[in-house]
Amino acid sequence: MRRDPQGTGTTLRRLVSVSPPPWGRLAAAVALGVLTSGATIGLLAGSGVLVDKAATRPGLGAIAGLLAVVEVVAVARAPLRYAERLVAHDAGLRALARWRVWLFDRLEPLSPAPLQTWRSGDLARRLVADVDALQDLYLRGLGPLVTAVVVAVVAVVVEGVLVPSAALVLGACLLVALVGAPAIAWAGRPRDADRAVAGSLSADVVDLVQGAAELIAFGRSADQLARIEGATARLDRAARRQSRANGAVAALVGICAAAATAGVLALGVDAVAGHRLEPVMLAVLPLVALGSFEVAPALGAAASGLADVVAAGQRLLDIGDETPPIVDPDAPRPVPAGPVEVVLRDARLRYETGAPPALDGVTLTLAPGSKTALVGPSGSGKTSVLHALLRFWPLEAGRVELGGVPTELVAQHSVRARFATVVEDGDLFAGSIADNVRFARPDAPEADVDAALSAAQLTRWVAELPLGLATPVGERGARLSGGQRQRVALARALVADRPVLLLDEPGGGLDQASADRLLADVLAGAEGRTVVVISHRLADTSGFGAVAELAAGRVVSLGPGGPGGLDGSEDRGDR
Amino acid sequence: MDRRLGAAGSRGRRFVLGASVLGLGQSATVVVQAILLASVIRRTLQAGATLSAVLPQVIGLGVAIAARGVLGWASEWTTGRGAAAVGGALRADLVRHMVALGPSWLAGERAGELALSATSGADAVGVYYGRYLPQIVVAALAPVGVLAWVGATDWVSVLILLGLLAAVPPAMVVFGRRALEATNRQWRGLSSLSAHLLELIQGLPTLRAFGRVDYGRREVAEATEGLRRATLRTLRVAFLSSLSLELLAGLGTGLVAMVLGLRLLDGGTTLYVALAVILVSPEVFLPLRRASAEFHSSAEGRSGETRIAAVLAVAPGAPGAATTALPDPHRSTLVLEEVTVEFPDRSTPALSPLSLRVEPGQRVALIGPSGSGKSTALHAVAGLVPLSAGRILLGDVDRLDVDPEAWYRAVSWVPQRPHLFSTTLAENIRLGDPGANDDRLAEAIAAAGLEEVVARLPRGLATAVSERGTTLSTGERHRIAIARAVLHDGPIVVLDEPGSHLDGAARRSLARSLAGWLSNKTVLVAAHHLGVVEDLERVVDLGGLEHTSATVASP
Repeated sequence: MRRDPQGTGTTLRRLVSVSPPPWGRLAAAVALGVLTSGATIGLLAGSGVLVDKAATRPGLGAIAGLLAVVEVVAVARAPLRYAERLVAHDAGLRALARWRVWLFDRLEPLSPAPLQTWRSGDLARRLVADVDALQDLYLRGLGPLVTAVVVAVVAVVVEGVLVPSAALVLGACLLVALVGAPAIAWAGRPRDADRAVAGSLSADVVDLVQGAAELIAFGRSADQLARIEGATARLDRAARRQSRANGAVAALVGICAAAATAGVLALGVDAVAGHRLEPVMLAVLPLVALGSFEVAPALGAAASGLADVVAAGQRLLDIGDETPPIVDPDAPRPVPAGPVEVVLRDARLRYETGAPPALDGVTLTLAPGSKTALVGPSGSGKTSVLHALLRFWPLEAGRVELGGVPTELVAQHSVRARFATVVEDGDLFAGSIADNVRFARPDAPEADVDAALSAAQLTRWVAELPLGLATPVGERGARLSGGQRQRVALARALVADRPVLLLDEPGGGLDQASADRLLADVLAGAEGRTVVVISHRLADTSGFGAVAELAAGRVVSLGPGGPGGLDGSEDRGDR
Repeated sequence: MDRRLGAAGSRGRRFVLGASVLGLGQSATVVVQAILLASVIRRTLQAGATLSAVLPQVIGLGVAIAARGVLGWASEWTTGRGAAAVGGALRADLVRHMVALGPSWLAGERAGELALSATSGADAVGVYYGRYLPQIVVAALAPVGVLAWVGATDWVSVLILLGLLAAVPPAMVVFGRRALEATNRQWRGLSSLSAHLLELIQGLPTLRAFGRVDYGRREVAEATEGLRRATLRTLRVAFLSSLSLELLAGLGTGLVAMVLGLRLLDGGTTLYVALAVILVSPEVFLPLRRASAEFHSSAEGRSGETRIAAVLAVAPGAPGAATTALPDPHRSTLVLEEVTVEFPDRSTPALSPLSLRVEPGQRVALIGPSGSGKSTALHAVAGLVPLSAGRILLGDVDRLDVDPEAWYRAVSWVPQRPHLFSTTLAENIRLGDPGANDDRLAEAIAAAGLEEVVARLPRGLATAVSERGTTLSTGERHRIAIARAVLHDGPIVVLDEPGSHLDGAARRSLARSLAGWLSNKTVLVAAHHLGVVEDLERVVDLGGLEHTSATVASP
């Protein structure tokens, strides 16, 4: 992880500019927070004044007003606090929507290729968790900060009205506490390296449990235990630093509160003796001073909260700053209307500089209505052909032409509008079967949907479902089997009604006979359209006008299809 | 406190004790503060004292407040240290114990849960001991002490406070249960919304391909909004318990102040008593409020404690004597005598009695349907599973009598489902021999037929193999395991289904590249496909319904 690449200030500024504070709710949370603190301080100070006054035996009428005030604050404090917490959480959660959409928009041009090669760990999961962490910017950061400052100012003003010199004492002590507490907490925040250790510790433990047999058989379990203990020791040091900081915050606030309270009390006693202060108000001075320090520890928490926000925010901004591999041309050209020839010409594609090319001079011509099979082992470049055609990734050399127009001169969405794809293992979205089948063309007529279901061999299965097409498929189609997901994705591609159909492993997860039947039905259902089937093995290529075999990013054989099968499967140890 | 946690638990008890004492000390300073402040105000107001007369008490007040801060320092330090120390010690104990229990115990579906216990589970127990338990002790004792002082000072106030305190348990029961119900109810909803967000990010290529990015953006915004509404619904209920506690605390001070004020009017009490009692009254509820704020950590901590204690309670098999030197495997016969393996949670033995002699340099294949015990037999030879009956000998020495490390060095094991560690490809292969230099690494890679895989990976041998997007096929993972075994170079080679993920041509090619390395090894191979090891001398079929000794068939 890079260390503080843009600076804390820049990170915070950028985060705020993406999702500005929800001012209204934040202001409400601050107002409620100030009132809560006011009620806490007011309850003690008011009670103090009440008994001071009652002790002079003035009669019930004289203290009735004070009694009412004390009881109102006593009852009001808890609901105020309750409302403050809810409003503050609401403000924090509301801010998330903008960050999340911003990130989604930044990720869009980066998918699929750069996202796939991204660092370790489950990227998407972290993106969700990191964005969630940002709510603390307003929930634990800005809100409590403003609240603390307002409470401090009000407390100083109250003291000033009673005894002007007390305002100076309290103000000075509060200043030290309110600046010192967050500074100490910030100094004790977990470092980037500690956060990285926390992440790798859990990977190490998973490795120990799942790889126990290997570790023991190769006599390496002691090493792994030592790694885990090393990480634990490192986290222990970080925890030590953090508890030291938390403790120092408590001590600092306590000492400042002690100095302020004793100081204003002394000034108050002197003022009463000098008849500059009404005696019953004496209790107000120390109690307001003491109470005003209650907000200081929240500032320490705000600082550690901000440290977490900055760490999460920097990771997100790093991703957001990634340059998209492809940007649209300034003046995009249109693609010729009607069925057009698609040509991949001398294409070379590389995912990373220095890496071996994923495609190395591939030429393929897809005439309108032609049926082509791409065969080869995994890693041979089949999927990269798909990325090149869909313009998910730029070519280092060569080009893709649609009806003679190079696709880099065309807007990306008009290129993609020519293709309907089925990726391996489908890629469905939560919703009904119908939602997914109509995904690319929500207004598709009933007849098209029925035809597509039939070509994907889904008609009978759907008819037997109690909910039929309205059956929910679950997240990513989790409620369907692999084969069913694949077929729904096929139907979705057929309904899309686009001139070129790209099928990646359409028979994946099926036995050979079912896969063959499915493929035959799809080829029949796609009559008139250009079809490219990508597969690591095909038992029968007779339905194809051309069969191209890929290996290590090159077309190693190209010829017409025939009844014989092609097996480029599995491992390539013998090549 | 749980004795099942052993040393980590007793360490935890020390921290609980320390943090509790510090917490009680903080409460005591509040009483001192109240007494001093009340005294200063009374003397100034009613005795006309000047500053110099009350100065010692004013300074005393400052010292008491500062003392509370310093005790707070010690308390933060103790609780933070306690949580980290207990969690860390527990994790260390747990992972050591898991290694002692061995792979046959760790295998299966337990892996994920065990990993969770050793990470977040151990941390939760640490927080439970470090923060929650001390807070509970303080919440139980401090109010009693404070109330005793109030009772000694003013019995009317103590009755008011006791009355309100009596309302705390029912309020906690009612609101606590509602909060728990609300949290559980929302949990499913919340996790499905997060899953939806994940789905949209992972499904971005499909959204782009079909020109539906707008749909994704809308769904992201709506899922976030749904998440917000669901969270707020839960919080509205979850915050009720602290609302009720704060309400009781506020009422406590308010009612005490009102009654004292009214009694002062007719001289029923003194200003000093009134002030001191009012100032002390919040401290009756404060420890309870703190304990309730930590309540969530109690459930997590207790469930973590139970899960970890259950693992620690499993006794590992007794280690062997490790007194005898390992005979030279190149000259000694590997003998399996009536070897039987049973697992407590299975009714049928994983391996029925198997007897087998493998002469040095001999190659023997174990065949049979799945479940017939091929893998278990190999695990037994590799020393990864305890025997229920029978013996495994090298020459005339029992495996249990030699140093396990020496036995492991003698055996090169290739598992059926190899685990890849979250590190680089090179490190994964070097598991077989951490000190191996680059030349030996290259030889192992060549023998396992991994050269092309290494060439294809963007960062070659430095590629982190568990990274998302690094696609290694099952066959390729298996070759990594073979390379490990080659690097380990034990004279006894134990291969579990080495060719099952390869096609015919690849199996033949692997057999050729491994032939040199296998030339002087004793080989035991479990296989459906016999093609990887050439020149097998014997094939032993474990498939018979009953076999007290293995059937020997010609190859």
